[in-house]
Amino acid sequence: MSLEELAFLALALVAVVTALAALLVRELVHTILWIAMFFVDLAAIYFLLDAPFLGVLQLGVYAGAVTILLLFGIMVTRKRIFAREAATGIGPVPLALAIVTFIFLISALGELPQSETAVASYDPTALSVNLFGPNGAWLLLLGLIMLAGVSGAIYLVREGRD
Amino acid sequence: MTDLALPGFLALSAALLGVGIFGILTRRNFILLLIAVEIAMNAAILNFVYFAAFPANGATGISGQSIAVVLIGFAATEVAVGLAIVLALNRLKGTINVAQANDLKL
Repeated sequence: MSLEELAFLALALVAVVTALAALLVRELVHTILWIAMFFVDLAAIYFLLDAPFLGVLQLGVYAGAVTILLLFGIMVTRKRIFAREAATGIGPVPLALAIVTFIFLISALGELPQSETAVASYDPTALSVNLFGPNGAWLLLLGLIMLAGVSGAIYLVREGRD
Repeated sequence: MTDLALPGFLALSAALLGVGIFGILTRRNFILLLIAVEIAMNAAILNFVYFAAFPANGATGISGQSIAVVLIGFAATEVAVGLAIVLALNRLKGTINVAQANDLKL
């Protein structure tokens, strides 16, 4: 087993454990710490996949901005920031549905061709040429959706709305 | 970096999607719901990055990374709108428990 495979196994384990911990711990502030670890872990996986630009973007947008936004949301919506969440039981139906989804997706893996090729690596220049060239329409769509999203968010939270 | 196998990555992605679905179905706190959606969305973004890293013969997979960049932007927008809904719900109901946001129920 190579070093990369060991690193991937460790990162994958940390990803699943932190994602579960984020959803299962009782204190919401601890949830933010777990989800920040999850995002940083995913950034490490992107670096492992030779996608350094995406890794940095993941760190900046998710581990930075989204985490702080969620923390802000918790801060303004509760009286005591370390208040504990009421325990909600782990219902058998959601658990079964999640496991069935996992098994369904895993069962398709055998159909895939086994890739023996090396991990393809691209430099950020090639990525930006592709992003602003053939995929420029997606980038434009992203800009429009962000504009609409920010306008909608401001409308939702503004004071004095009837 | 030669012998990273593709199925392992996809198994991780499937597991994260399962965790996200589990969270969406069980949690009642709006912020935890948002976090569960983010986990599921990250599973999808990971898939794009994997398939960019393992392109088919002769093809370039860089479009996968481009789409991943766009999807990260979408997810960030979604969190911003979601938190605006959290604030509006908190002002309206005094709680962010989604079980109590049932005004449209007959």
